[in-house]
Amino acid sequence: MKIRHRLSSLLLRVRTLFDKRHVEEELDEELRFHLDSQVEQLLSQGMSASEARSTAMKLLGGIERQKEQLRELWQFRAVENFLRDMSFSARLLRKSPGFTAVALLTLALGVGANTAVFSLINGLLLRPLPVPHAGQLAVLRIEEGGPEPNYSFCTPFFRGLENRHDVFAEVFAYNADTLQVQGGSGNENIRGMLVSGQFFPALQTTPLMGRYLTPEDDRTGGSAAGLAVVISERFWENWFNRAPDVLGRKLVIANVPFTVVGVMPKQFIGADPTQRPEIFAPLSADPIIDAPRNHIDAGINAWWLTVVARLQPGVSLEQANAALLTISGPILHEASTDSSFIADEEKGHFHFAAEPGSRGFTYARMLFRKALVAMFSMCGGILLLACLNLTSLLMARGAARERELAMRLAMGATRRRLIHQLLVESLLIATVGTALGLAAAPLVSRSLGAMLMSGSASQSVMLDTSLDMRVFLFAAFIAVTAAVLIGLVPALQATGGDLNDHIKEGQHASKTHERRRILPRVLMASEVALALVLVAGAALLATSLVRLYKSGAGFDPTGVVNIAFSMDKQQLEGDQLMQIYRQLGEGLSHQPGVRSVSFQFIVPLSDRGWNGVYSAPGGSSHLIFLNSVGPNYFETMRIPLHLGREFQWSDTKDSGLKMILNQSAAKLLFPRRNALRQQVVNPREKTSYEVVAVVGDAKYRDMRSPPPPAGYVPITQDLQKKPSLNAVVRVDGSQAPLAAAARSIAARLAPTIPAPVMTTLDEVLNNSIGPQRMMALLALFFAGCALLVTAIGLYGTLAYTTARRTSEIGIRMALGAQRSGVVAMIFRENALVAGIGSGAGLAAAVLASRALASFLYETSPRDPWVLVASVATLTAIASAASLLPALRAARIEPITAIRCE
Amino acid sequence: MSSVTERNMSKPPDFVQGTLDVLILKILALEPLHGWAISQRLKAVSGHVLQVSEGSLYPALHKLEVTGWITAKWRPTENNRRAKFYSLTPSGQRALKDQVADWDRLSGAVSLVLRLGEAK
Repeated sequence: MKIRHRLSSLLLRVRTLFDKRHVEEELDEELRFHLDSQVEQLLSQGMSASEARSTAMKLLGGIERQKEQLRELWQFRAVENFLRDMSFSARLLRKSPGFTAVALLTLALGVGANTAVFSLINGLLLRPLPVPHAGQLAVLRIEEGGPEPNYSFCTPFFRGLENRHDVFAEVFAYNADTLQVQGGSGNENIRGMLVSGQFFPALQTTPLMGRYLTPEDDRTGGSAAGLAVVISERFWENWFNRAPDVLGRKLVIANVPFTVVGVMPKQFIGADPTQRPEIFAPLSADPIIDAPRNHIDAGINAWWLTVVARLQPGVSLEQANAALLTISGPILHEASTDSSFIADEEKGHFHFAAEPGSRGFTYARMLFRKALVAMFSMCGGILLLACLNLTSLLMARGAARERELAMRLAMGATRRRLIHQLLVESLLIATVGTALGLAAAPLVSRSLGAMLMSGSASQSVMLDTSLDMRVFLFAAFIAVTAAVLIGLVPALQATGGDLNDHIKEGQHASKTHERRRILPRVLMASEVALALVLVAGAALLATSLVRLYKSGAGFDPTGVVNIAFSMDKQQLEGDQLMQIYRQLGEGLSHQPGVRSVSFQFIVPLSDRGWNGVYSAPGGSSHLIFLNSVGPNYFETMRIPLHLGREFQWSDTKDSGLKMILNQSAAKLLFPRRNALRQQVVNPREKTSYEVVAVVGDAKYRDMRSPPPPAGYVPITQDLQKKPSLNAVVRVDGSQAPLAAAARSIAARLAPTIPAPVMTTLDEVLNNSIGPQRMMALLALFFAGCALLVTAIGLYGTLAYTTARRTSEIGIRMALGAQRSGVVAMIFRENALVAGIGSGAGLAAAVLASRALASFLYETSPRDPWVLVASVATLTAIASAASLLPALRAARIEPITAIRCE
Repeated sequence: MSSVTERNMSKPPDFVQGTLDVLILKILALEPLHGWAISQRLKAVSGHVLQVSEGSLYPALHKLEVTGWITAKWRPTENNRRAKFYSLTPSGQRALKDQVADWDRLSGAVSLVLRLGEAK
């Protein structure tokens, strides 16, 4: 009740605020009615008309005076004061555009960067899946004694779990996949997802049209009606042009027809927040879709599934985990007859476990969590720096305005009122700065996201970084915190002093000021310290990046183009397919600018790998990483050929198995011996290879790991029937025409395959160090900003304090102080602050840089040169910023300065 | 020093104003009335004991309206002019009850004190 009345009274006041004329009229009418009634009464008592009128007026006390009194009553004091403060502050800020621009920009930078990174964190780590009751979802994992749990399941494990309906309402598995769909001109690669029968029932999202896939569809050969797929709304739009009769139409996937039975709405993305599958196909269709591979028959050798469950209503995660513990053993024994595998797993206390899954599951989370948190801390540092800086500047400005404020206090303004006004000023800065930052945030987060995710193994990571409620709340929180942080301290400080002192003393130097100058100094020192931490971090990351680049890949990526051909779904295989590759290579080598052409199975630095255990006859076994490559490979890649020869097209399966070792592998397998023409054996497969060459070491999976011992086998002896190889082409000059040429050559020689995909090896290398590169670039950018902001802060505060000491300096100079002495005196003020700040910052940097260790390549987080260079940079910037006001002070003319008073 | 300024700015409690509020509330508790009628009723009820100046009536009425104890509506009068009729809100009724109780307690206490003086 009370609140309602408050509210209605508030509404009344608000109405008067915006409807002033109407209120005025009502006041007028009410008083006039009273007056007329009074006149009537007096007339009836026998008074004359004019007498009655003047008596009535007198009784009421004058209409205008009444109205004035009433108007006062209706005024909405707080809001009107606020609006007045607002326009006053805006006027004030407009009058000092330099200060305003700096304040807004630093704040916008801090807020923008924070919000951008937060929306990335939100998209990857916080946002729940857009499905009903996402809180009931649980992600399943395998604990097998390793340092990290395993989130990849093999088919037998999943099928064993699928029907445990005691604790789970549904259990489902999925695998993101690339599907070859027959289009107008041959096959096209489409992003899809293989999903088990309970996938759609568990995610509880109604299809836009038709039905979703059910356990009936998840059987070999599909349901009674045949193989079915569900498509996304976007695919329906792009492929079928939103045709209303899409249900029942056929899609030829991997040369087999599937029937479209449903369309899922746009917001449905499955259970992996970083995937946007266009086609959902039944898990059991894997042997068709992934032919010639078969993940289902591969049993415990294919760990390809992510498994998620929906808990039965009322069942807790603990209960689910208890139930999983009891069924783990039986499922393990059912899954395989391989006793050594079972023994291995049991040794690691094999069991399944469930964890909260409302946000779905993605490997990207594990890859990027650390980088995101590091980025977030950097952004937080910048925001704090921006706030500290603004506080110092406002405080210095407040000091310069002491006289104005003291005057207003003396004239009867309350302290509260003045603090209000100063707070409104900082609120104005904070709001506008935050708005600017927010406006830039989506753009920044999209490009940051692109930079971050480009380094991932699969380049198909999508992230929804759109601004949602959580991001807005975060931004609002930042804005308010910043406003209070920035405004409150200077406001309290500026209004807290003794009235008389301010008015009497004005610009005079005075002892009482000394005490109050401690706080600004502490603030500036912390700003310097924070800036040093950011600069040192950036310097470490940059040094590490340069060392990473300099370490080299072992091959020369510049000018090399990689063209990927998907041959797994076309008809030819074995030697016939090799003939096609040979013709493709010849076709490419005749293109303008092409120096040499070869083929490789695995693209180096793409995070993919293939290895096996090999030994010299009678020697010990070693893990060797493998690749199958074509003739002229080492020439094309510019990997030095130390001994022996390149592979040739004549190295066929009949001519005996051949292998080329890199130096590390040669040294490992044949220590103190010439490896050339030796035999290398694979004890498990009982095969033997002749070493035909020894080549230089090259990095394999990524740039950070040193080159592993590696062996190369010829593509002509590849065990796969239909290998999908990459052409590597070294080109002089422009690479762009090659893409079209590759497409037309492929269309001629292998018309059914999807268009080949071209990338440059430079891109591959950059992607491989994407997170490091992004961290370093971002850190450098932030460090640059930090230096700029700190310089502005040091300059601004010193300029203000120096301006206030004009007369003191004038007197000193009149009494014989040298100009150089004045410069030194002013400069000393900041030198002290910067010195203390650097010391504290150095200590903090040494402590904080340990968090960076995992991002650094062959660089110690306490690299003395880097730290010294950081301190030197900061000192140089601080000196430059402090020298200007000092020099200006030295130019003061004593006479004018003293006359000013 | 700031406390001095603040003390200067605050006004002494307005005893008459407070009394007028209760009287208005009491009159409006009987029926909704416009300002003129209230002033007439006040005169009739209080007679010569309480001299209520008409100049302070409207500020009091509007203050009560802003507080939310009374609410106003424009309605035609008996001789067909538009007038602003005030009536009591539920919270106004409660306030009246509280104030009457306060008044009783205060007047009781005051008369008690005065009688004590007489007894000695």
